Amino acid sequence: MKTWHRYAICIVLGLVCGVAFAAYQVRGGLAAATITNGAWTTGKSFGTAAADALTRARVALGGLLALPAQEAMYFIARVDGDGEPLDGRCTYLVSGGKLDGRWWSVTLYEGAGWLVKNAANRWSIPAHAANQHDNGAWTFTVSPDAQPGAWLPTGGVAAFDLTLRLYHPAAAMLADPGRALLPTIQRQGCKS
Amino acid sequence: MRRWLLPLGVAAFTAVGAYQATLLATPYAVMRVAMKKIDGRMAVNSFGFGPLATADNQPIVRPSPDLAYSGCVFDVSQGPVLLDIAPVPDHYWSVSIFDARTDVAAVRSDRDTGGMPARLALLKSGQQAPEGYEPVVLQHDQGIALVRILLANSGEYPAIDALRRKSTCRSILD
Repeated sequence: MKTWHRYAICIVLGLVCGVAFAAYQVRGGLAAATITNGAWTTGKSFGTAAADALTRARVALGGLLALPAQEAMYFIARVDGDGEPLDGRCTYLVSGGKLDGRWWSVTLYEGAGWLVKNAANRWSIPAHAANQHDNGAWTFTVSPDAQPGAWLPTGGVAAFDLTLRLYHPAAAMLADPGRALLPTIQRQGCKS
Repeated sequence: MRRWLLPLGVAAFTAVGAYQATLLATPYAVMRVAMKKIDGRMAVNSFGFGPLATADNQPIVRPSPDLAYSGCVFDVSQGPVLLDIAPVPDHYWSVSIFDARTDVAAVRSDRDTGGMPARLALLKSGQQAPEGYEPVVLQHDQGIALVRILLANSGEYPAIDALRRKSTCRSILD
């Protein structure tokens, strides 16, 4: 083998490996953010010049035109409270209390971040639409089948994520989102 | 094996470079696609008022079905671009300026304006904002201005849609 053959092979190998590793790293999108709180992940530098190249690429692919944290925080859950991947054939109870911000909603997405077709034409549960309980507690159900009360359909997809948007988050939430009180996601059962 | 040592070093160097280049190029590429998508609906430096996001209408990834979006692909290369954003009483609304790298150059919401209109002049270095406009100096000539308005329910859409169409995005040269 000639010398230039060895260089050519190694340069092509380097290019392929570099691009493939970058693609592997950005594939998680917003869900691959660095701050974890229970089932939820988030980041503080979305949409800002302070974001590193990896965060900026992840946000571009998984949440283009996301707002900076001072305006809105995005928490994403791809697993339930037991760490199991969210499955559109299962039913989940999402429970929470007062969230420290002006307004919130939870939206269901599949894949890189696409709304799921469903017969109810419902893709999110805003704060006012959740089932309200005592002491500011609230719940809603995520399920492939119609449920009494607030219901977010999964459309029966194999995998999905939930995005919690919190607009105008309070200072404490901004300062330490990893310790904020966020909703829990409990699996109730699955279709066989 | 010794013959491969230097080429393997070159491979490692190339891999690091390709990795960084891919990460750096991704936001520009994704933004270019998004601008083309919006630009396809409306001319540059003018607002497009999209319908509410549904499973059948998702102009960008991870849209919120609770928000009415209005987008303007802007280009300040020939002159400043002026944004006049009409307020929507008793609703959350904001205008955010994203540059070609996806960075936010400015966000103004009803909280910032106290319910008054937002008036922004998008500029490149060396350009001046006209009187009455808040200057926003950009690192890139092109980008997207995005207005978000929160709806309490979809029944509000016709009234909100009429209100948001009072907002304008225009070149100072127009």
